[in-house]
Amino acid sequence: MEGCPRNREIGPKLLDLIPQGRKWYQEDKNNIDQEKKLELRLGPPGGDEEDHSAMKKKNNNTETRNIKMESEDKSFQGFNSNHFSSSNKTSQKRTAPGPVVGWPPVRSFRKNLASTSSSKLGNESSHGGQINKSNDDGEKQVEPKREGMFVKINMDGVPIGRKVDLNAYNSYEQLSFAVDKLFRGLLAAQRESSGGEGEEKPIIGLLDGKGEFTLTYEDNEGDKMLVGDVPWQMFVSSVKRLRVIKSSEISSALTFGCSSKQEKMRH
Amino acid sequence: MTEEEEDSSAKMSEDVKRYLKLDTRSSAAATSEPPCSSSSSASALANNKSRNFKSFEPPCPDHVLENVLENVLQFLTSRCDRNAVSLVCRSWWRVEAQTRFEVFIGNCYSLSPLRLTHRFTRVRSLVLKGKPRFADFNLMPRNWGAQFAPWVAATAKAYPWLEKVHLKRMFVTDDDLALLAESFPGFKELTLVCCEGFGTSGIAVVANKCRQLKVLDLLESEVTDDEVDWLSCFPASETHLESLSFDCVESPINFKALEELVVRSPFLKKLRTNRFVSLEVLHRLMVRAPQLTSLGTGSFSPENVLQGEQEPDYAAAFRACKSISCLSGFRDLTPEYLPAISPVCANLTSLNFSYANISPDMLKPIIRNCHNIRVFWALDSICDEGLQAVAATCKELRELRVFPFDPREDSEGPISGVGLQAISEGCRKLESILYFCQRMTNGAVTAMSENCPQLTVFRLCIMGRHRPDHVTGKPMDVGFGAIVKNCKKLTRLAVSGLLTDEAFSYIGEYGKLIRTLSVAFAGNSDRALRYVLEGCPKLQKLEIRDSPFGDVGLRSGMHRYCNMRFVWLSSCVLSRGGCREVAHALPNVVVEVFGSDDDDDDDTVTGDYVETLYLYRSLDGPRKDAPKFVTIL
Repeated sequence: MEGCPRNREIGPKLLDLIPQGRKWYQEDKNNIDQEKKLELRLGPPGGDEEDHSAMKKKNNNTETRNIKMESEDKSFQGFNSNHFSSSNKTSQKRTAPGPVVGWPPVRSFRKNLASTSSSKLGNESSHGGQINKSNDDGEKQVEPKREGMFVKINMDGVPIGRKVDLNAYNSYEQLSFAVDKLFRGLLAAQRESSGGEGEEKPIIGLLDGKGEFTLTYEDNEGDKMLVGDVPWQMFVSSVKRLRVIKSSEISSALTFGCSSKQEKMRH
Repeated sequence: MTEEEEDSSAKMSEDVKRYLKLDTRSSAAATSEPPCSSSSSASALANNKSRNFKSFEPPCPDHVLENVLENVLQFLTSRCDRNAVSLVCRSWWRVEAQTRFEVFIGNCYSLSPLRLTHRFTRVRSLVLKGKPRFADFNLMPRNWGAQFAPWVAATAKAYPWLEKVHLKRMFVTDDDLALLAESFPGFKELTLVCCEGFGTSGIAVVANKCRQLKVLDLLESEVTDDEVDWLSCFPASETHLESLSFDCVESPINFKALEELVVRSPFLKKLRTNRFVSLEVLHRLMVRAPQLTSLGTGSFSPENVLQGEQEPDYAAAFRACKSISCLSGFRDLTPEYLPAISPVCANLTSLNFSYANISPDMLKPIIRNCHNIRVFWALDSICDEGLQAVAATCKELRELRVFPFDPREDSEGPISGVGLQAISEGCRKLESILYFCQRMTNGAVTAMSENCPQLTVFRLCIMGRHRPDHVTGKPMDVGFGAIVKNCKKLTRLAVSGLLTDEAFSYIGEYGKLIRTLSVAFAGNSDRALRYVLEGCPKLQKLEIRDSPFGDVGLRSGMHRYCNMRFVWLSSCVLSRGGCREVAHALPNVVVEVFGSDDDDDDDTVTGDYVETLYLYRSLDGPRKDAPKFVTIL
């Protein structure tokens, strides 16, 4: 679940950096915009098509402040990108980062209107809010009550667990990208606090065993397996929780706690 | 505090003195509501506790006085007034307790069922609320609690003449419903709002055994489909049913049984069907119940599309139901049939379109005739244009709720400040608004604050987090500030958008009547929380999520928690130490901390960070039924 960094060492340090008064939000806008520019994305550079607010327009004159902002950026990122979720300011349509639990605050039975309303619209008016979604099976089906399929995800070396909504993704690549977004800042913060480099490095190679980390999961039978072997939908229907482990520890991580599932290991 | 038996008349003046001393530290009366102070009735309860309940018998006081009092108090229905009466002296307390027939418990964990049944001996109606509101949005793990079971067990023994039970956000099982149906022969009204844990089999038992049943209202509850034909379980004779609402029941029903039930329910005024009821079925029901005042129209879609004369005359059916003042349903609306409701539009006071994807062009011909509407719920598919049409006609509008058709942060958002401003200009008598949108301006919000002075409830949800005024780029502080400043009757406020501490300083300064405050993704620092806790004396329910408030902010409200119903803080920056501090300082407040899951493995939580804090006052200490993942500090 999205939330504040749980590492105490991050908290006080960042809160100190938040200056009081109105100035903060001005800087925050700039920081968030800066984050946008600095973030690693799957899209082409500069292709920031999504503009949720007029913030972008207002920040045209902040180019010159960029350099000064940079140092604050780094420390803000760990806090901001995770807590204040500027993830909604990135090109969501392309990469669909995980939605936040319970937001917007709409009860579950109101959430499925877009998917269950049939295309029985009498008039062809194209007024804004009219959304024509055709429902092929206009059967009387029980509306799914869950708003998303949230599973827990932990990462070695990061004490804070998160949650991801698997329904928000359609492929392993998207999931892998989301994992990177979720944990990159936290991992860097964790490393910084334990005396290492606080620089944020993208978390890549989760699926092919080539990166520093590998994504594994526990299925509904309790078996621990590498992510990526089965078709996506099959994975989604059987996964119970996820874990990002150090690639060097793949063999021990997968056998621990299982009876004899060696055949599931890739190597 | 030990008590001695004394001459009661001498005691009375002492009682008065003692009860009038407002001791905030020992206040925790669950059955009282502000603005009356609740502290003294708590000490009254505490006094009694030190004595053995059963053996306490006062030396004969003035019987005449008590009888007179009893007769007078029968007329007192407001629980606020009754709480005040109970504070006068011990004998008034006793008489009040004997004559209180309706009990309201805003938080089921603020007292034990035993305390309820000991104090009030003749209860006929019980209103019980369980989980806090954020539980509706998956912020609370399942199996957290709020079980109805201990309450039904206690009341089954103590109140054989119980007639009415109204539950909100409680966990109710089929067994609980069965016990209820069996224990109260005169049972008349069951209302379950936002409840879960039961299914159609539980409903069937209630239908079958509660022979005096007048009201069976299932609202926004989760009802499992046990494949039981519960409608056939009503007794075959004439029923006393006045209200039957099952629009949240997501399972098919026996139409014939429903029709027959309606025929033998001459007192039926409110019928809210579920989405499995087609237009044809609805037509048959309407024809048999033209006396209906409130109708939930089901799917509002025909099962089969017939041509010409073969099709039932739906408009005629509506014309025949001259008393309909409240319409809802439209779960799967076929737009061509919407005009059928036109005959009743002029008399409508309440219209709920919030399940129907209605465009402005579909809305306008209908709303044009709805001059008397007081309550209007819709989806944002009606657009700003639709809201303008509402503003042009619905001059009597008191409550407006606009829900998002596509409730995602990055959805289109067809309504904005334009619609809000139009409503404010057209509907000057507006008292309550819930508005979901993607873009808003301080200007529109300020306009509403100036045009609608009667507002008591203002809930604005800008769905994108931290979104500023989309025209000026500024935070929404000024708009919300205007609301709290100009709407002097405001008791409930929900804020959203980009907000700094400044917004909260306004809330603290002007929100003197605010009882419920909802905050999400807002504020800069603990100062914001402090402004609110120090500035809003009437605050009862505070729910906050994902905001940068920590131990310092939490500490600033210590003086208030005993006088509040609850405080919820999730995904903020609280530490266990900070929460423990509150728990130790306030023995009458229960401090619960938990994560978002039901499993209690610790590897997701460093010892100190608190994901969710839920605190509430309680007369009977921490609850015994807390699941493992909940820690009570």
